[in-house]
Amino acid sequence: MSFNPGAFLAPAVDWLNASFHPFFALITQVIEAVLSAIEAAFLALPPAGLVAAVVVLAAMAAGLRVAVLAGCCLGFCWLTGLWQASMQTIALVLVAVLIAVAIAFPLGIIAARRPGVEAALRPILDVMQTVPPWVYLIPAVMIFSLGRVPAIIATIVYGIPPMLRLTTLAFRTVPNDLKELGQAIGAKPRAILWKIEFPAARPTLLVGLNQCILLTLAMVVLAGLVGAGGLGAEVTRGLTRMEMGLGLRAGLAIVAVAVLLDRLSRGALDRQRKGA
Amino acid sequence: MEELVSAFDAQVDNALFWLADHASFVFDFCRLVLEGLYAGVLGLLMLPPFYVIAALAGLLAWRVLGLVPGVVTAAALALCAAMMLWPETMSTLALVIAATVIALATGLPLGVLAGLLPRLEKLLTPALDLVQTLPPYIYLLPSIALLGYGPATALIATVIVAMPPAIRLTALGIRQTPREFIELGHATGVTPLQMFLKIRLPFAVPSIMAGVNQSLMMAFGMVVIAGIVGSGGLGETIYGAIRTLDIATSINASIAIVVLTMVLDRVTQAAARTK
Repeated sequence: MSFNPGAFLAPAVDWLNASFHPFFALITQVIEAVLSAIEAAFLALPPAGLVAAVVVLAAMAAGLRVAVLAGCCLGFCWLTGLWQASMQTIALVLVAVLIAVAIAFPLGIIAARRPGVEAALRPILDVMQTVPPWVYLIPAVMIFSLGRVPAIIATIVYGIPPMLRLTTLAFRTVPNDLKELGQAIGAKPRAILWKIEFPAARPTLLVGLNQCILLTLAMVVLAGLVGAGGLGAEVTRGLTRMEMGLGLRAGLAIVAVAVLLDRLSRGALDRQRKGA
Repeated sequence: MEELVSAFDAQVDNALFWLADHASFVFDFCRLVLEGLYAGVLGLLMLPPFYVIAALAGLLAWRVLGLVPGVVTAAALALCAAMMLWPETMSTLALVIAATVIALATGLPLGVLAGLLPRLEKLLTPALDLVQTLPPYIYLLPSIALLGYGPATALIATVIVAMPPAIRLTALGIRQTPREFIELGHATGVTPLQMFLKIRLPFAVPSIMAGVNQSLMMAFGMVVIAGIVGSGGLGETIYGAIRTLDIATSINASIAIVVLTMVLDRVTQAAARTK
C-alpha cells in the first residue's frame, strides 16, 4: 500500500503556476524593485558614511552606548569584506519586517477587540509557530522558484505570528480606566486608539517588534539555501564547498548584524521605559 | 582590505589543517560517540515494523490527550509510512531524540546549578542570550569544520540550539520554590539533599517539562535544517527535492515533517500539563 499526496498536489501547483503566471510575475517584479531600490540606497553611500549615519541616528534614538555598539557591528561587517552581502541581508530583513508588521498590527488590534477573531486565529498561529522554519520555504519556492522573492515571502509569513500575538496582548492589557477616561472626555475612537491605547501598549509592541526582527533575520539567513543572496548565501557556500574562511567570516558578520538589530530595537524599548 | 581577507581565509584553513593533523583523534572520538548514539536510537526505532511504532504513539497520545488525538496520531504516522518516507521519518526522529537526550543531560544539571547559585546564573545569562539571538543556521559552521559531513555535525549543532531553553526553564523552576516551603523544610530540619529532592524539585517539575518541550521543538527545527550537512532524514530529502525542484517529493516530506512536529509537540505539552 502506498499513498502519494505530493503526486496529487504537484499538478495543482503546476496549474497555479501556469494560469496565474502574470499575477506571480507582477508580485516578483514589485518585490524585486523595492528590494533593489533599498539595497541601492544602502550601497550608494560609502561604508564609512553609512556607519556614521547609523551611529548618529542610534545616538539620537537609543543613547550613546547603543550607538557605539552599532558602529562597531557595522564596522565589523565592513572589515569581513562582506559589506555588500551584509547590506543585502539587512535590506531583506527591513522589507520583510515592514510588511509583516503592516499585516500583523491591524490584525492584532482587531483580534484584541473581537474575541471571535482571536479564537479563530489562535489555532492557526499555534500551528504556524510549531512548524520548523524550513517548511515555510517550500511552498514559496514552488510558486516563486528560487531567489529573493520566495525568501522574502516565506520570511514575512514566518515573522507575522509573534508580532500578531504580542499586538493582541498589548492592546488587550491596556487598562480599562484609561479607555473609559477617553470616552468620558468625548474623544473619538481614532483618538482613543492613537493617543491613549497606542502609548500604553508601546512597551509590549516593541517586544513584539524585537522578536519579529530576530526571527526574520534567522529566516533570511536560512533562505540563503534557496538563493536569497546576502550573508546566508555566503554561509551556504562555505558549508557546501568547505570554504571555511568564507563561512567563518559570513558567520561572524551575521553575529554582528544580529547584535546590531537586537540592540537597536531593544535600545528603543529601554529608552521608552526610562521615559515613562 | 582584500589582502586582509585572503590572509584571514588562509589562516583559518591552516588552523583547520593543523587541527586535522594533530587533534583528529579527539574529533574522531566525538564523531564515533555521536554516531554510535544516533545509530543505536535509529536501530531501536527501525527494529519493529512501522505499525507497531504508530500504534504505540497512538496509545501514548490517547493516554495523555484523549481518544480522537490518539487515533489521529496513529493515522498520521501511518501516512508517513504510506508516503514511503518511513526510514527518513525515523532517522529524523532518531536525530531529534539523540540530540535532545544530550542537550537535557547537560542542560538539566546546569539549570539546577544555575537555579541554586545566582552567581552562576548571572554568568550564564549573557551566553544564553547570545546563543538564542543568533540564527540557528550558523551553528552548522563550526561543527562541519571540525567533524565534517554527516549526522555527528547535525547532532552537535542541534545540541547547541536545544540546550538554552532547558537550562533557562530549569533554573527558573528551581528558583521559584515558594518561600514558605523552604522555611517549612528548615523548620523540620531536612538535609540539603532532602530539601532539593522533596521540596525544590517537585515545585520545579512543570517548568522543567516546559523546558523539555521547548528543547525538543528547537531540536526539531535544527535537525531539519541540518539536512544540508548530510544529516540524513527528512531534512536531506527536502534539501535534495528543493534543489531539483521536485515538487511532489518536497510536498510529501513537508507533510511528514509537519506530522512529526505536531505529534511531538502536542504529546509532550500534554504530558507536561498532566504532571
